[in-house]
Amino acid sequence: MLAAILDQSSLFLQQLVNGITLGSIYALIAVGYTMVYGVIQLINFAHGEIYMMGAFLSFSLLSGFFGFGLPFGLAVAVSVLVCALAGILLDVVAYRPLRRAPRLAALITAIGMSIFLQNLALLIWGGQIQSFPQNAIPALLSEPALQLGDVVISWLQVVILSTAIFLMLALHLIVHYTRIGRAMRAISQDKTAASLMGVNVDRVVSYTFAIGSGLGGVAGILVGLYYNAVYPTMGYFAGIKAFAAAVLGGIGSIPGAILGGGILGLAEVFGGGYISSSYSNGIAYAVMILVILVKPTGLFGRHLRDKA
Amino acid sequence: MMIVAGFFLTSFFLVSVVIAETIKIPVASPFTGPLASFGEGVKNGALLKAEEINAGGGINGKQIEIVLGDELCDPKEAAAVATRFASDPKVAIVVGHLCSSATLAALPIYKEAGLPAITPASTNPEIGKSSPYYFRNVYKDDFQGDFLARYAKKVRNFKKIAIFYEVNDYAMGLKDAFVSQAKKVGLRIIGAESYMSETIDFNAQLTKFKMMRPDAIFIPGYAPQATLLISQARSLGMKCAFFGADGLDDAIMLKNPDADGLFVTTPFLVDRGGAMVKEFVGRYQRKFSIEPNWFAANTYDAVGLAVAAITAAGLDREKVRAYLAGISSEEKAFQGITGATYFDENGDCLKAAFVKVVKDGKWVSAEEQLQ
Repeated sequence: MLAAILDQSSLFLQQLVNGITLGSIYALIAVGYTMVYGVIQLINFAHGEIYMMGAFLSFSLLSGFFGFGLPFGLAVAVSVLVCALAGILLDVVAYRPLRRAPRLAALITAIGMSIFLQNLALLIWGGQIQSFPQNAIPALLSEPALQLGDVVISWLQVVILSTAIFLMLALHLIVHYTRIGRAMRAISQDKTAASLMGVNVDRVVSYTFAIGSGLGGVAGILVGLYYNAVYPTMGYFAGIKAFAAAVLGGIGSIPGAILGGGILGLAEVFGGGYISSSYSNGIAYAVMILVILVKPTGLFGRHLRDKA
Repeated sequence: MMIVAGFFLTSFFLVSVVIAETIKIPVASPFTGPLASFGEGVKNGALLKAEEINAGGGINGKQIEIVLGDELCDPKEAAAVATRFASDPKVAIVVGHLCSSATLAALPIYKEAGLPAITPASTNPEIGKSSPYYFRNVYKDDFQGDFLARYAKKVRNFKKIAIFYEVNDYAMGLKDAFVSQAKKVGLRIIGAESYMSETIDFNAQLTKFKMMRPDAIFIPGYAPQATLLISQARSLGMKCAFFGADGLDDAIMLKNPDADGLFVTTPFLVDRGGAMVKEFVGRYQRKFSIEPNWFAANTYDAVGLAVAAITAAGLDREKVRAYLAGISSEEKAFQGITGATYFDENGDCLKAAFVKVVKDGKWVSAEEQLQ
């Protein structure tokens, strides 16, 4: 009897750990969606592909795919930097020319860029699932950090959660206490007024893309390491989940994206663990739909005044 | 100018004449995408057989040409590829497809066109029954699932089994066969969880199984997901054994140190074969610099069957079908590197299954086989 209760409670705790890990990954990706939306009201569907690029770049730099290998820390740093630059490039090439076009044009372009980047990755790396070389990753990451009976928390899970928390705090400080953060908030309130006050809109948008894409790149690397699997369509599924998380939290709101990611991750894991694994995605989306039904702007969404 | 154009025209004409002289044998399989490494074996096996036939003078003096149809193991793509082959009047037989879901999607198209096909790898039980035009030189999942349940119980002495199956025709057929035999031999199934091919996170379901303490987890599915699943189970601290069927028979398993001890059923074991197999393995390794997997061996024989059928019956689809259907007893069997192949009234065949294990990054035959 006692054993059964212990089993049930450790089952619950382990699922909680799994859910929080998954949720913090969704949150990291969702923040990238929400930042771009907050600033230029564009749902950047290619964001999932930036995340995929992050995973592939770190894989390539670690495994010597490009003909040379880098140490772990450097490979991660280079990958994140390239992702940030790719985000800026994405904006300059695909979205900036359409800034004054109807919003639908930019949205369709975003979907087009997503398909383009996915196929580019397919061309470069092929369709098979790639794994990180064992010797290139710090061995510590795969060891358990904490073991309580049947509950295991690996160092990698600790790293994922702490990286997510650290980056969220850093992001909060950037948005609220720096000049560029103030400019972002100004543009999100009123683009025209901000540019009249001397805010360089294009430059601020570039920064937004760089930060959002950098975070997406970090998430890609963490996920690649966590599951030890990197493949071209990984961004598609994660992107849809993260988009749902951003909408759930209220698109445009950074704390909303974090909370939305957490809720979605937990709903998926508990739904899969306690109800049925066939419906784990369905359960996560059902939670999102319920929230939107009750509060159409999402948990932290602002009530936008009608611009028409 | 005219001369140049004339030259081009003539050379074009010559090329088309050369093409008309060859006999096309289409081979359909995933050659790109997540299961490309399975398709690699199919391609190599087919090319090696074609090379040998052509070196020996082809079919009645005509060279054969392998035409690859890439369908990514996707039923929609498989239907498109099948339509292309079925509408080509020069095609008398198709070798393929690999995944059962792809084969079942292509099946009605071949049936409609009266085009015989032989799959070297699809094991779903429904295939043979559903069309008189479909043949296979591989065992069925009811046999394979049955075999695995008996092996798990009698050789490994497992008592409690948990199952993770992918939602597709192959894995579900295999799971059902395993479960029904498990009941008969007294193997307890403590739970069955499903997953989709795009799943990468198995932690929630594994955690659930962990608390039930199974002796082993059976994975009817394909290697790309199974390797992730096994690693995640190990990092959750699970010590149980893992086993699967021919869908896990892929080199990706050898790169995963967590997969040590995994055992799978396979229709073909190099060290179980005679002189014919050794010769095949030698030639294969010289040409492709890797060891042949069972997809290569079965496709090699499937192309051999197709060639035998065209040699005897010509390019008439109905006659080719009749020829294959006529290989119906042990005496008339086609002798290949995977043993004797002959078909029952459904076009299915009986083949032996073997067990092999991952040990120190290599596949080795299990010490104890089950006959």
